[in-house]
Amino acid sequence: MSAGKILVVDDDPQIRRVMRATLVAHKYEVIEARNGEDALARISAEMPDLVLLDMNMPGIGGLETCRHLRSGSDVSIIVLSVRNSEKDKVAALDAGADDYITKPFGMEELLARIRAALRRSPSSPESGPHTLATRDLQIDFDTRRIHVKGKETRLTPKEFDLLRYLVSQAGKPVPHRELLQAVWGPDYGDEPEYLRVFINQLRKKIEPDPAKPRYILTEPWVGYRFAAT
Amino acid sequence: MSNPYISRAARLLAAPAIVALIIAFYSRWFSVNNTTVALTLLLAILGISTWWGLLEATIASLIAVVGFNYYFLPPVGTLAVQDPQNWVALIAFLVTAVTASQLSVRAKRRTQEAVERRREVEGLYALSQTLLLSGSARTASQDLVSRVVKILGVSTAAFHTRSGDETFRWGPENPLISDEQLQADREEPLIDAPKGFAIIPVRLGGQALGNLGLAGPLPSEAVLNAVAYLVAIGIERARSMEEASHAEAERKSEVLKSALLDALAHDFRTPLTSVKAAVTSLLGRERPDEDRELLTIINEEADRLNRLVAEVLEMVRIEAGKLHPEKHPHDVAEIVHSALAELEPALHDRPVEVRLQDGLPQAEVDFDFVLQVLKQLLDNALKYSPLRSPLTVSARAGEGRIVISVADRGSGIPEAEQMRVFDKFFRAREHRFRVPGTGMGLAIAKGIVEAHGGKIWVTSEPGQGSVFSFSLPVYRGEMVK
Repeated sequence: MSAGKILVVDDDPQIRRVMRATLVAHKYEVIEARNGEDALARISAEMPDLVLLDMNMPGIGGLETCRHLRSGSDVSIIVLSVRNSEKDKVAALDAGADDYITKPFGMEELLARIRAALRRSPSSPESGPHTLATRDLQIDFDTRRIHVKGKETRLTPKEFDLLRYLVSQAGKPVPHRELLQAVWGPDYGDEPEYLRVFINQLRKKIEPDPAKPRYILTEPWVGYRFAAT
Repeated sequence: MSNPYISRAARLLAAPAIVALIIAFYSRWFSVNNTTVALTLLLAILGISTWWGLLEATIASLIAVVGFNYYFLPPVGTLAVQDPQNWVALIAFLVTAVTASQLSVRAKRRTQEAVERRREVEGLYALSQTLLLSGSARTASQDLVSRVVKILGVSTAAFHTRSGDETFRWGPENPLISDEQLQADREEPLIDAPKGFAIIPVRLGGQALGNLGLAGPLPSEAVLNAVAYLVAIGIERARSMEEASHAEAERKSEVLKSALLDALAHDFRTPLTSVKAAVTSLLGRERPDEDRELLTIINEEADRLNRLVAEVLEMVRIEAGKLHPEKHPHDVAEIVHSALAELEPALHDRPVEVRLQDGLPQAEVDFDFVLQVLKQLLDNALKYSPLRSPLTVSARAGEGRIVISVADRGSGIPEAEQMRVFDKFFRAREHRFRVPGTGMGLAIAKGIVEAHGGKIWVTSEPGQGSVFSFSLPVYRGEMVK
């Protein structure tokens, strides 16, 4: 039984070789794509659980591929890139990536990130809310469905997990580190830019006016707080 | 054209001759009544005034009056006039002849003026076309002087551009249009029609572009001013086109540089990624100790190679002027504590004193870049001072700047080397083979600080230690205390 199906998208054959050897040894099923077009062609047929996506590729490139993948699927996407500026990270997360690793990386770290990305919080956890309903926002945490002003809205798994955690702590400020670890995993905590990007995207999807948030409030120097009323 | 004086004199003689011929014709060979004679003479005088001029016509009129009186008015053959009515006729004839001559001459002059105006306008139009079609400011200036000579009919034209400090000339040298005249700073045009030269300032929107000098038969002042204005527009247009294409070329070369750097970063790091991934993958498995030792070496060296690539790329980026800090207001305390936190493993056995001035304003900096500078200075302080000796990190504000310093109790830097520690690849003689490093760290730190508009320097007392300091801009939204 495989631990999950991973699509490795990279134009460098040696990197694909190393990934395949290592991931297969860790019981993952591996499929490969040499570029963005190739990846988009394979995604619907293969239905991978996770995509490891190189940024710098000939053709449509990593960012564009990421955007296309995200527009049609909830698959977890980890971006691998030689660039390590915050701008590049934010651009990748904005395009729909769940995580970002700078090349070169240690395999242990990548494996940890893969495990974290594949570890979806169960759809109906014991604790925490099952539903939330306000005037223009209805969330059913069991079916992972959300309606904004009566219209069904799609959230990515990470956005959904983030929202659920905030709602479960409604009224309390949740520190950055706690939020990162609850949603991404115990190895995280120093990636405030992840929160900035995902909170922004969440606000765009659920807030009546994202510039003046009503539900997801920023607590300066601390973190974020969900205001249900 | 032949000498104008000779042809004028010929006309002055020919005019009375024509009148005499008419009088002779009617008195000797062909008898008609006096009215016919007077009208014929009047026609001839009108023709003379139209074709030749007022003086010729006036002389002809006087001769005609005398001749008409002598040969046709009774008593014929004398200048006496018997009938007073004939006096009236004679005077009426004279007045009519002279007035009509004047009118016809004036009409002719108007026509000539209109033709001249048309030529001037045509000339200005041709000049404007020339100027607007020239590619660069330089060729525009060159074309301009030759065109001005051709179109305005002057003999010499010269144009001095202020921006290029260059003079373009066309036509024979003329001492009246000297370099001093052309280079002078003038507000008003200098037009000397009798001497046949003019120096006209070429200005656009109050800005002096240069002077245009002309010699030879000059057009009217209005035309000269129009020419100067056209020249200004043409030169300015050519200059702005040149600037635009320069900017475009510059932008293209910048884009190329960025693309090259990106390709370089990618090409170096891709094989390193495979090496690192492979070796860490192997290290993740059960291995005999000797294998583990060798794999660890590969892993560490891959890291070192990666750091080197990063440093070289950063150095290239700095030298290519491609380092673009994204400046935002940040608390210096946050930068200092982040740097100390990131170096925690290396600092654990060092007492570090942090001295931050109270009420420090925020710095306007790129957080990551400045963090890198501070880490570099701390790293150097660790490398070049004895184990367990204390370090001090301090920050103070003054004169619109924030100065951050890192002090160690190391062996210090000899004065001769203090200036050179920020040079690329410089390694202190004493440590060259003892302390690992590439000699790029401080050069990169300097590049980063300078990209923020700051300075970096060192003060050191051999035997006492060194203090490395750098200044950063204060966030403008804050008051400097």
